[in-house]
Amino acid sequence: MFPGPQRRRPGAPCSVESSNANQIRCLILACGNTLREDDGVGPFLAHWAEERWRDDARVRVLCDHQWTPEMAEDVAQAETIVFIDCATDSAPGLVRCMAVKPAPDSTKLGMHHLDASQLLALSKHVYGAMPRTSLLLTIGAGSLELREGFSAVVQAALPEARQGLEDTVQRLLSSKTVQRA
Amino acid sequence: MSQTITIDPVTRLEGHGKITIQLNGHGEVEDAQFHVTQVRGFERFSEGRPFYEMPGLMARICGICPVSHLITSAKACEAIMSVRIPHSAAQLRRMLNLAQMIQSHALSFFYLSSPDLLLGMEADPKVRNIFGVVGAKPNLGRAGIALRRFGQHIIELLGHKRIHPGWVVPGGVTEPLSAAKRDEILAMMPEAFQSTKLALAGYKQIVDNFRPEIEVFANFPSNYLGLVNEDDSIEFTDGALRLIDGTGRIIEDGITAARSTEIIGEAVEPHSYTKFTYYKPLGYPDGCYRVGPLARLNIAKSMGTPLADAELAEFKQLAAGPVHSSFYYHHARLIDILYGIEKIEQILNDPLILDTHVRATAGVNRLEGAGQSEAPRGTLHHHYKVDENGLITWANLVIATGHNNHAMNKGVAQAARHYIKNGKFTEGILNRVEAVVRTFDPCLSCSTHAFGQMPLAMTLLSADGEVVDHVVRS
Repeated sequence: MFPGPQRRRPGAPCSVESSNANQIRCLILACGNTLREDDGVGPFLAHWAEERWRDDARVRVLCDHQWTPEMAEDVAQAETIVFIDCATDSAPGLVRCMAVKPAPDSTKLGMHHLDASQLLALSKHVYGAMPRTSLLLTIGAGSLELREGFSAVVQAALPEARQGLEDTVQRLLSSKTVQRA
Repeated sequence: MSQTITIDPVTRLEGHGKITIQLNGHGEVEDAQFHVTQVRGFERFSEGRPFYEMPGLMARICGICPVSHLITSAKACEAIMSVRIPHSAAQLRRMLNLAQMIQSHALSFFYLSSPDLLLGMEADPKVRNIFGVVGAKPNLGRAGIALRRFGQHIIELLGHKRIHPGWVVPGGVTEPLSAAKRDEILAMMPEAFQSTKLALAGYKQIVDNFRPEIEVFANFPSNYLGLVNEDDSIEFTDGALRLIDGTGRIIEDGITAARSTEIIGEAVEPHSYTKFTYYKPLGYPDGCYRVGPLARLNIAKSMGTPLADAELAEFKQLAAGPVHSSFYYHHARLIDILYGIEKIEQILNDPLILDTHVRATAGVNRLEGAGQSEAPRGTLHHHYKVDENGLITWANLVIATGHNNHAMNKGVAQAARHYIKNGKFTEGILNRVEAVVRTFDPCLSCSTHAFGQMPLAMTLLSADGEVVDHVVRS
């Protein structure tokens, strides 16, 4: 049973912030829809991250239904970033964390939702800055039906995903502070 | 041999649509139509639901203007309850509505239309997008993003979510405004004002480059419908509707939500799932009218805020009476934004905005109720009927884009006739035909009550039905 919706503040499943923007070494930026089964992994991990790093001013957690151009400023201000989403192009339950680069200039932008590479490119073009390290953590979706909760295969992958997020963020926090790209 | 051009999908719109242009044997445009091809069924599946669920249900129609549906639905529910909501709740809803209008207009102007306005209609499609705008005018790119964030953050502060917020309920709102949130919003004002002034200045610098487009972009006299206050100032949340004709003469005034249900008809055309609304006393299509930013500024005599009033005075100099070219929707949208920011500031500076009395309660006291408000794109109506237990037995929504449907079709035909000669057309010409629709900033997902995603296409067909050209943008 997915604990996320019951634990969140009513009416505020996403868009949580957990720290002072001026001290952000790692921005965790998740997206997803908790009513579309495995698409809810982003909000689930964001909520977990919000609790995990609640007292750590170096980490900021943001989550919404989708990534939009309005997030470009937050991305530009972060030293490092971990995007979190479910993946429809990988095996169900497969947890992956990979580097992501900004999209080419010729990429057409969707106005309602961007992918991680497009958001990085927008940050670079609009604000002249983007994180020095950008990573995308995904879990392969098993099912995207209209319901809450996760498929069995994704439910089983959640501990690995949490551990992966923990390890990734710790690695980013322990790396040396350098100028943003 | 005649031909039909189809633009499929029409790009940079909310939702999806299709344009078909029919050429005659001489290559001249005979007719053009704007099709919307989806059905969603919100009015049907809400039957049997308790009326107090309707605001939350109806807000799911759209991710851009859910607040409009929240508020209009709540007003229809309050008609069923026979309650008048507390003053502070009305002001808080007004603020939420204006915040949504600001972010929606920012999306339309900066993300959807500015590539054409700043880079030109003939610009290479590869750069005629937000990246191109940011490259050419980085300050404007930042201003657009900032205004979207401003509106969305207010919605999030009040309704706890940027998209599909709650908080608005039949009877008022669920919680009052705190002093901390009020101060947070006030602190965002300077940047919002600066961004809007930058956009207005930028628009005024380029508008003269589009004199040819202004002449043919749905430029014809029409009736106009919009909300006003008793002092003739613009209104978005309460007030009553006024219908004027193409000369500015008032056709009917003081139209309440209940009266709207009697006088607004909905015609059906075979080529589209979006209905064509009209003023019944004048019949269809003579009773058709336009709504939205252009209509609002044609109807209102003042904005009620100083900076917007100055802009309105300048806007009204564009014509002796109502301004008819739909190109000026872009200008009107920016004035709407300026008004919204000023009005929000006014509301927040009133100490009564922190009043904790924000909700009236009652059960079913009428078996029918209607509500209306100004959504970003124009007037929105919700009309419900319930049984004695408050369960919905019938619902009807009349959406802004439906009000503009006739004008959009007529505008597409006008532009197509002007630009397509001897069967010849270019990418820039097709973009111009699309751009006519974009001036209206239609929300096709709302207006069709549509399900799923379907691209908008432009197709050119011969008289024999042969596809001469077909542009699909998915």
